[in-house]
Amino acid sequence: MTHPLLLQTRRHFFRSSALSLAASYLNAASARHHEARIDHVIYLFQAGGPSQLELFDYKPVLARYDQQTAPPELLKGKRFAFMDTFSKEPPKMLGPRRTFQQAGSSGMHFSDLLPNIASVADELTMFHGVATDNFNHGPAKLFMNTGSVRAGRPSIGSWVTYGLGSESKDLPGFVVLQSGPRGPRSGAQLWSSGFLPTSFQGVPFRNTGDPILNLSTPKAVTPAQQRQTIDLIGDLNQLERQRTGDTEVDTRIAQYEMAFRMQTSGPELINFGQESQATLDMYGAKPGQPEHAFANNCLLARRLVERGVRFVQLYHTDWDHHDDLTKPLEQVTREVDQATAALIRDLKQRGLLDRTLVIWGGEFGRTPMGEVREKGKVGRNHHIDAYSLFMAGGGLKRGTIVGGTDELGFSPAHSPIHVHDIQATLLHLLGIDHKKLTFRYQGRDFRLTDVAGEIVHKALV
Amino acid sequence: MYLVLKILLLAALVLHAAAQTPDAQFFESEVRPILRANCWGCHSEANTTSGLSLQTRESILRGGNRGPAAAILLDATRHVGDLKMPPGKKLNEAQLATLEKWVNAGLPMPEGLLKSKRPGLNHWAYQPVRRPALPEVSNGSWVRNPIDRFILARLEAARIAPAPEAGRVALLRRLSLDLTGLPPTMAELKAFLADSSPNAYEKQVDRLLASPHYGERWGRHWLDVAHYADSDGYTIDSPRDIWMYRDWVIDAVNRDMPFDRFVIEQFAGDLLPEPTTSQLIATGFHRNTTSNFEGGIDFEQYRVEAVADRLATTGAAFLGLTVGCARCHDHKYDPISQREYYQLFAYLNNTDEVDKEADRKLFNKPFLELGTDAEKAEFAVWQQKIIVAEERMRKRLETYSGDPKKDETLVNIEKELSLLRANKPKLPRTMIMRDLPAPRPAYIHLMGDFTRKGSPVSPGTPSFLPFPKNKAGTRLALAEWLMDPEHPLTSRVTVNRIWQTYFGRGIVETENDFGTQGDKPTHPELLDWLALEFREKGWSQKALHRLIVTSAAYRQSSNLRSEDPENKLFSRQNRLRLDAESIRDASLVASGLLAPKVGGPSVYPPLPAGVYQVTQVRREWKTSTGEDRYRRGMYTFFQRSAPHPSLVVFDAPDSTIACTRRNRSNTPLQALTQLNDEGAYEWAEALARRMTAAASSDEDRLSTGFELALNRQPRPEESTRLLRFVRQQRDSQLDPWPSVARALLNLDEFLTRP
Repeated sequence: MTHPLLLQTRRHFFRSSALSLAASYLNAASARHHEARIDHVIYLFQAGGPSQLELFDYKPVLARYDQQTAPPELLKGKRFAFMDTFSKEPPKMLGPRRTFQQAGSSGMHFSDLLPNIASVADELTMFHGVATDNFNHGPAKLFMNTGSVRAGRPSIGSWVTYGLGSESKDLPGFVVLQSGPRGPRSGAQLWSSGFLPTSFQGVPFRNTGDPILNLSTPKAVTPAQQRQTIDLIGDLNQLERQRTGDTEVDTRIAQYEMAFRMQTSGPELINFGQESQATLDMYGAKPGQPEHAFANNCLLARRLVERGVRFVQLYHTDWDHHDDLTKPLEQVTREVDQATAALIRDLKQRGLLDRTLVIWGGEFGRTPMGEVREKGKVGRNHHIDAYSLFMAGGGLKRGTIVGGTDELGFSPAHSPIHVHDIQATLLHLLGIDHKKLTFRYQGRDFRLTDVAGEIVHKALV
Repeated sequence: MYLVLKILLLAALVLHAAAQTPDAQFFESEVRPILRANCWGCHSEANTTSGLSLQTRESILRGGNRGPAAAILLDATRHVGDLKMPPGKKLNEAQLATLEKWVNAGLPMPEGLLKSKRPGLNHWAYQPVRRPALPEVSNGSWVRNPIDRFILARLEAARIAPAPEAGRVALLRRLSLDLTGLPPTMAELKAFLADSSPNAYEKQVDRLLASPHYGERWGRHWLDVAHYADSDGYTIDSPRDIWMYRDWVIDAVNRDMPFDRFVIEQFAGDLLPEPTTSQLIATGFHRNTTSNFEGGIDFEQYRVEAVADRLATTGAAFLGLTVGCARCHDHKYDPISQREYYQLFAYLNNTDEVDKEADRKLFNKPFLELGTDAEKAEFAVWQQKIIVAEERMRKRLETYSGDPKKDETLVNIEKELSLLRANKPKLPRTMIMRDLPAPRPAYIHLMGDFTRKGSPVSPGTPSFLPFPKNKAGTRLALAEWLMDPEHPLTSRVTVNRIWQTYFGRGIVETENDFGTQGDKPTHPELLDWLALEFREKGWSQKALHRLIVTSAAYRQSSNLRSEDPENKLFSRQNRLRLDAESIRDASLVASGLLAPKVGGPSVYPPLPAGVYQVTQVRREWKTSTGEDRYRRGMYTFFQRSAPHPSLVVFDAPDSTIACTRRNRSNTPLQALTQLNDEGAYEWAEALARRMTAAASSDEDRLSTGFELALNRQPRPEESTRLLRFVRQQRDSQLDPWPSVARALLNLDEFLTRP
């Protein structure tokens, strides 16, 4: 099942025919380097930097140092966000603010904020001690998504759909869903196709109105008229094709047909009418209610994957808890805990989890030191050396903890798992060798993992 | 000991001189691994810690800050004396013995050790541009100007005849779209068709080159390279003041400012003697870098990124080189060392822009302020109020976790902010370049990391290219170097990019990589001939455009031919899907809605609800009314984190880095946009009104629609099909004309330059 040549051909195709980038959208040919364990990815991006120390990475020793000034050797040579204020006075260590319990056969830790996710512990592969490169939200999000802190590189979903195509004939291969009080920082650059053709760009679905921009026929146009108009355009374009001999016209005719199919499949996709009440309740989904947007999006993600969409990415804001680890954190965990667990359970009961990867995590974690911005409240600053994320799905060792951190949760206990390693592992599960999935641009073969990335074999079956 | 060694060394050198590189193999197999593993990390050509490079024989003999290094090398590695090397470790005895043997033998190492590691010095693109002889051709009657000789010679060698000339309608449509980005009006077309003079086509070329829309079209191509946008990018992505730069470009292109002047003013207008306002505005070119104002950042990091972006833009736009590859290490394929990268970096490193938290409130300084003192003072007060309100909002958002729409404090701040924004005092200003009084020290950044400073560097150009005549080390010197008549790259890269716009593909297909990894030119002599013409005709862009579009090669039909399916030989024209902006512009022309106003602040045509919400800071898109609703696509406000979807969907660049060629994708989202978008439907309705107003019979209305949208009459088989559609609509009691108009604006022919 190795088809590196196919990839090569594809790359050549894109490079050599700037005039005709069209076929890509229709081309669902799989170009895998080795046998794939999964076909789909649902990436639950938790934007803002969830505090691993209040969620997954239980550090009882840190509690003993609570309110003690952080030793200078711990901070030596380290750079943090808000350097001027954060380290004006040496920050104090901050013990875990939540209570923890173990769950599942591996004894994975979860705080009281995540009872539902804890209940699917045996499905999860937990990564501790994940390290990233940049401590500011925008660049760090770009790094997690594109492997670079600067905008302009293709996002992970674009790379995957570029490499594998889409299985869906009437939906885009890479869909982006958003929830939370504000948009993720860096916006559309996070799902940009960069220098890859724009047909691999993430298509943001909207929470109100049409799920896809311009999916609805204009008000004055009836459905029959729309069909007849597209037929007319197709017939006239066919004459143009005969006159010019240009195969690009064939592609355009096909794209208008696909647009029409999307107009039908789109509304069907977002109509939860066929879902049972039990399913809706399991997710906590309430269509049309913004407070339930994350739950609605999780259910939508399952429906997208069922329809062959390759890569679904959910962004949920906002986890940036600099000055309070109580109510704001309770609120956001309440928004995501139930639906995340429901998604995993639902995928499993439908037999989809074996061929899908669910990944849950943010752009970085938070410091074991506290941050005080307002009297009487305490939060945590951005921390890039050791954070946590989890995965569930095909090809992974389920109910397993990979990596770990020191007693204070400051540094990885062993060798860190770098963001590029996570990206390499994700591609590996899809049957893609991260070193071979390249695109030549400005004289260089670029890849998602830049010049780094080691597959985290410990996490794999 | 020193003395003895020195004598030994001298003796060895004499011997060495007599027998050149007696033992280069010994160096390769024994010495090089030791130096590479232990020394070159800090003492290389790229990183001369303590002034010392151990990478060439000359540099070892010359030595570093402590003087000639051969003897020091032995002492330091043996830990004799105060200097102990490598730091924190001692070489083993075998290694020490190897080094001693090597030093005592007079440092034999291959000549040009570094040069041999510098790839591609003989590469075609680095050689001087030379005027080629015009090739002989058999079919001389086809030739309209020298371009055609180069094209035809290759075609004749391949025994392929050129394609016939395109029809007159297609020719004028092509020419108008290429020169102005707008299709011709029916009046323009009729004038052309009625003109039977032999130079009728050339008259159209002159007319279009004199149109103010020419500057818009070719200005927009340049703005792709400059990666112009109306907002900062990154997290906060605030609007910025820089549209005056955009207008400067349009104006300079319209006035046919010579290209060398055009480049020098944009690079370094501020450094010219007594710069004019216009020359200062021009320097906005290098201010189109993104700027980060997220809380908690290290400003120096993003300033360095901006300088790196300036250098990457310079590389892509003028040198056609991937200089960015040398940011972390010596370029693997082209002869640019990491040191040379930072020498170029040093030219662009001195702008007085924000580099520390304390200056956060100075935003995108430096600006050119164009108001009176009173206006400036009023503006400063206003700006301070915005800053305070935004800070309050940010704080509140960070602490408040409920629905922001329901929070009274937030709602009030929003109200206050929108009131403030609505009453922004008029103070025209624009981002420009202005240098610090003394240059910022520049260093090699080890592994490209700005926190790891290596050796200091001064401005300098890569050694494989001609040296700059102006040694000043300023941006001006760099610009003059780029435009130096002896520079082999700038003219080639520029004419290639212009050629690419007309044919869809450059003579060098990799238009941004003329290095060893790029494609070779398909017509190298033509490339050089054009480059020389361009330079010798006073760098006139209009003259170059006239030359290309009056060639027989350009005027060929674009219908596909089996003889040369990929059209590598330019044996025909290429059909090219219109750029994003031109699709809007052509639709506005067909519908009669276009507001032809040139320049001014960016505008806000209708935007589908919800698009703007992806930005982190919620902003209001105040939809323009009146003529600003119908301006050309290039004036649509470009918000980097949420650009207008109708631009993005048709491959407008995202403006984060220099774009030297746009993709031309073909997707269902494009179909949905041109079919269903609110704006697109408005155009269709307007076109339908023009069709029904112009005539009463179905046939006449159809022919009006075709003329307005496609500049031609419907063919019989098209009329038959359309009349069937019209009847179908009437049978359903529907007005057929908006649907007919909508279909016309969605035809492949409408969306494509013929």
